[in-house]
Amino acid sequence: MIDRLTAALARSRADYTEIRVERTWSTAVTFRGRRLESATASEDQGGFVRALHAGGGWGVASFTSLDRLEAMVARAGELSRAVPVDPPIRLADVPPHQADALLDLDGDVRGVPIAEKKRLLEAYNGVMLGVSDRIVDTLAVYRDEVSEYWYVNSQGTRLHELRPEVTLSGTAVARRDGTIEKGLESIGLRRGWNSVQDKAAGFREVAERAVQLLDAPMVKGGTYPVILDPELAGVFIHEAFGHLSEADFVYENPQAREMMTLGRRFGKPVLNVGDTGAASGLRGTLPFDDEGTPTQDTALIKDGILVGRLHSRETAAAMGERPTGNARAISFRHPPIVRMTNTYIAGAPGGGGFEDLIGDVKLGVYACGAFGGQTMLENFSFTAAYGRMIRDGRVAELVKDVVLAGNLFQTLDRIDHIAADFRWNQMGGGCGKAGQYPLPVTEGAPHVRIEEALVGGEVGKA
Amino acid sequence: MIAQLVDLARRRADGGADALWRRFERTTVAFEWGRLKSAGTTEEAGANLRVRHRGRVGVAGTTAVGGDVGAQHAAPLLDRALASADLGEALDLEFPGSPSPPATLPTVTTYFDRAANASLVDLIGIGRSLLARLEREGCRVNVAIEREVTATRVANSAGAAGEYRGTGFGVSADVWRIAGDDVLVVSDAFEGTDLPSDEALAALIASINARLDHALRVVAAPEGALPVVFTPAGLSALMLPVTQALSGKAVLQGISPLGAKVGEQVFDPRFSLTDDPLRGGRIASRPLDDECVPSRTLALVEGGVVRRFIYDLETAARARTRSTGNGQRGIFGKPVPAYTNIVLNRVGALNEVGAQHAAPLQLGGGLLGDIRDGLLVDELIGVGQGNVTGGAFSHPVALAYRIERGAITGRVKDAAVAGNAYELWKQVGGFGDDARWTGSRWAPSVLFEGISVARR
Repeated sequence: MIDRLTAALARSRADYTEIRVERTWSTAVTFRGRRLESATASEDQGGFVRALHAGGGWGVASFTSLDRLEAMVARAGELSRAVPVDPPIRLADVPPHQADALLDLDGDVRGVPIAEKKRLLEAYNGVMLGVSDRIVDTLAVYRDEVSEYWYVNSQGTRLHELRPEVTLSGTAVARRDGTIEKGLESIGLRRGWNSVQDKAAGFREVAERAVQLLDAPMVKGGTYPVILDPELAGVFIHEAFGHLSEADFVYENPQAREMMTLGRRFGKPVLNVGDTGAASGLRGTLPFDDEGTPTQDTALIKDGILVGRLHSRETAAAMGERPTGNARAISFRHPPIVRMTNTYIAGAPGGGGFEDLIGDVKLGVYACGAFGGQTMLENFSFTAAYGRMIRDGRVAELVKDVVLAGNLFQTLDRIDHIAADFRWNQMGGGCGKAGQYPLPVTEGAPHVRIEEALVGGEVGKA
Repeated sequence: MIAQLVDLARRRADGGADALWRRFERTTVAFEWGRLKSAGTTEEAGANLRVRHRGRVGVAGTTAVGGDVGAQHAAPLLDRALASADLGEALDLEFPGSPSPPATLPTVTTYFDRAANASLVDLIGIGRSLLARLEREGCRVNVAIEREVTATRVANSAGAAGEYRGTGFGVSADVWRIAGDDVLVVSDAFEGTDLPSDEALAALIASINARLDHALRVVAAPEGALPVVFTPAGLSALMLPVTQALSGKAVLQGISPLGAKVGEQVFDPRFSLTDDPLRGGRIASRPLDDECVPSRTLALVEGGVVRRFIYDLETAARARTRSTGNGQRGIFGKPVPAYTNIVLNRVGALNEVGAQHAAPLQLGGGLLGDIRDGLLVDELIGVGQGNVTGGAFSHPVALAYRIERGAITGRVKDAAVAGNAYELWKQVGGFGDDARWTGSRWAPSVLFEGISVARR
């Protein structure tokens, strides 16, 4: 395949050309309640070409029929010539790489019969259903894929990769009369079959919690000291801050650039934030991004100060900074754009554990897990899976409908205590941007305290 | 050819088969932060096959079909569909026969030569003209133009078949204004099957400019139980619970609050909802669905009375009823029940192909005049999160305006609105005269009294 792609490259008349080809085998099994909703195996394949003529814009072409490869390389070149761009697009230098990177498949899912995948999921689903007769409905999904990936560009980079991925998710719905509560378990790894065995405990726990939430009161809306558990803290830093650190948001927008000036204080000295595509075994981990740039650990906030951002080759050149290996595409159907990989709030050495964060809190909220979150630039809204009140320095009753809403800049600045108990959240799902969803990413954080945040629990009562 | 795929499947699957083949070509032009940046093309084709064997149903999909489903692709696809059926649950799924008399599929215009033949230069021209008319001091503009040409074929082993081609045209623009830490984005889009008319583009520009003008001044949020007007775009939080509850799938799962309410007066007598796949000029329109069921216009709620739910073949079989022609399938995975064009309170003729914005554009559709103190909501944050079907919602505003003494006085930043969609639709304060398409939903602005508005 590499030879075929190299030959196609050689015929391109553009000044820069890159070709990606992917072939993906995937299976998906879904249970709803006791019923198997579907068990399917799919094969998806296609290619992507991007070309750049001097003085032209990007010409891009994607296609499912590989017979069209040569025609599409020519077409991408024509498209680039058809869109004059001034000042011209420049790409930051990246030394050419040649690599055969076959990631550890950890039990190749392609060798496991789909019936066995069904049995595994049925067992986890059964665990949720077996918790209580109050569990009236479940949704359990198993999904795996292995993607064979080829990338070449006209500057000499030649990559061949085998990228595995496996995700498991379970939703347990508990009901009593008109009250409905849910629990959500989610596991996602860039690994294989071996990594999703013995996961029953997590499914049991979320089903039990859904039942407990039936008796839990709504949190009383108001302003509290809020402690985020590592899962919610990770989702928070990804959604509320991470997207602003993507350089395509700022590189050609002077006002945005000013707002995100390096050196600006974003938080107290305890706050350290970064993004690493080079950590081992995580969903956002890959040796190279989709422009052939090696991934790396990029510091974004250091001791509370903005020190870096995430780049593609184009945004790096435009801003006079270094590419960070963050140009990613969800598939051959899309161009690479600036995306996160594994984003984290670093644990504070000597920051202690959860107990140290709540000791001096008289009345606060411990917000755990995430049902969802949305950011509209400086404003965000997150729904925690559940919460617990903190009273006089101790964890007290379970509460539900914990919605955190606020302004990013104010909230980051109010993070006053970060524990040392860092962990990665190995969750499924993914990140969405510019129509590209779901992109595999991971977040990590320790327990984080916000000295004051708005919790909008009871707002729902008109 | 898809007929041969179904024929091959029928020989091995004792309960029959159906299949969908779809091909599309898309051309895109993107202007980023005020300048032309890229042009792209996409060619994609794929097939989805469903079989019923020994009483069980299985599905498989592939994009490894080249331009057509040749024999070398058909056999592995069928193997995978049969393997999927091996594991599947028993289902009494019946494939619909061809309509009698045959070839009486409804007609709906889905293809426009003008759109299909528009050149790259035409697309760039539309973008440039939009950009020039949206430019303003201190703002940055993104514009995207997209044109799609599709071909769809469906067939089943009971002899039903259909094919149609379609065009789609999308123009979207967003204007960004960042001042200090205040980020304001105002956007709008045209979506249709034909090229946008000059009036449609003018309306799109007027819509963005009007909302931007009112947003430049930031005012304090009101607080309390207040009258709130939702624009056609802002209405999503109130529509989503209702459309989810009207899906036969939710009814079947026992989670639809409307499941047992057919024939009952549940909503305001002025509230009606229709699913209309036969609306000319709309991308969601089609003569038959993705499971060979002929399309028809479907009254879901009439005069506030719940009439029916939408079904695809599988949910209909489980619910022991008939498909409403709402089967939708992609290349991968199995068909699901889905809406086509959702029409709220269709009064008179719909704006067919041309301008999709009310002209002259008036924010609030004439509903603001009697409001002493209230809110006009254009976009909310987090719609779709949480327990949607239950009807309760609570969202911070992304774009909203304060209304004082009948007029907009400025943009409100730090406010949240909350309520219960089912309660609110029982008594509507008023429907605006500004009905328009937002994506595949046709709706006017709607006024509700006594919505909880919180300030933060």
